[in-house]
Amino acid sequence: MALGMMLALLGGTMVAIQNTFNANVKQKVGAWATTTLVLGLGFLASLLAGLSFEGTNLFDFEAESWFWFSGIIGVGVVLSVTQGVQQLGPGYAISLVMVSQISFALLWDTLGWFGLEQVPFSWMKALGVVMIGSGILLFQLGGRRAEQVSKKEMAG
Amino acid sequence: MRGTLFAIAGGFFLTLQSVANARISSVIGTWQAATITQMTGFLVALLVALLLRDKTFKEMKHVKPIYLSGGALAAIVLFSNITAVHRMGVTLTISIFLIAQLLLALLIDWNGWFGMVKRRLRMPQVLGIALMIAGVVILKL
Repeated sequence: MALGMMLALLGGTMVAIQNTFNANVKQKVGAWATTTLVLGLGFLASLLAGLSFEGTNLFDFEAESWFWFSGIIGVGVVLSVTQGVQQLGPGYAISLVMVSQISFALLWDTLGWFGLEQVPFSWMKALGVVMIGSGILLFQLGGRRAEQVSKKEMAG
Repeated sequence: MRGTLFAIAGGFFLTLQSVANARISSVIGTWQAATITQMTGFLVALLVALLLRDKTFKEMKHVKPIYLSGGALAAIVLFSNITAVHRMGVTLTISIFLIAQLLLALLIDWNGWFGMVKRRLRMPQVLGIALMIAGVVILKL
């Protein structure tokens, strides 16, 4: 459990850095060219890491045929999030994406779909997810008025 | 309404991605899963970029190289995500990922790191993260 938590913390910080770097790229480069670059480098880095940890054993596997279509999911992410942000603005869209993400996670753990180990549902877990969702909304949407006011103050 | 549906779908795909990666990795291994999903994702994105005639590739030379390199972090992200999902399930993994992500985003904005606009640290953001951490504690009870 402790190792899982440490890895999740490390992973989350990497996501934040990646999002920030990508935001800088997107100021000059279109969404799909950016996505192509990001996934291309992700592929190279994973390939190199795999080769350095496992040597040519990396290629010694038998994939089920659907594995080769798994990349479509990532493209679904970019498409949906980009459209959501365009129509709702980043604040609302990203908070909704995150709340949806955590809600589907609870659903998935509960149902144990896809060969995932089933984690039994409890109302306590539901409460935890509601609190996390509220925290996300507060983070993303809270204090926007205060910021507008302070901008006005600065302008005045 | 359409924007709302897109945002909900985005969250669904993100969770599906974690679950699918964990599933693939338990059959063929973690680095194999990371390499396959990134490679196929790259090919589909390239295809979409070509179909939509995204001609902005050459603008990349106007971006600082360090920012262009962000994609490579996916190797760490995928390894952490896959291992964490195997060890403690999707809900806890995604919760902690989101907390770390928002906490660092807050620090980046506060300090104006990586070319971001500097913003004041505001109470709702701090409270939001505190509420999320409390939620994780409850999840683990």
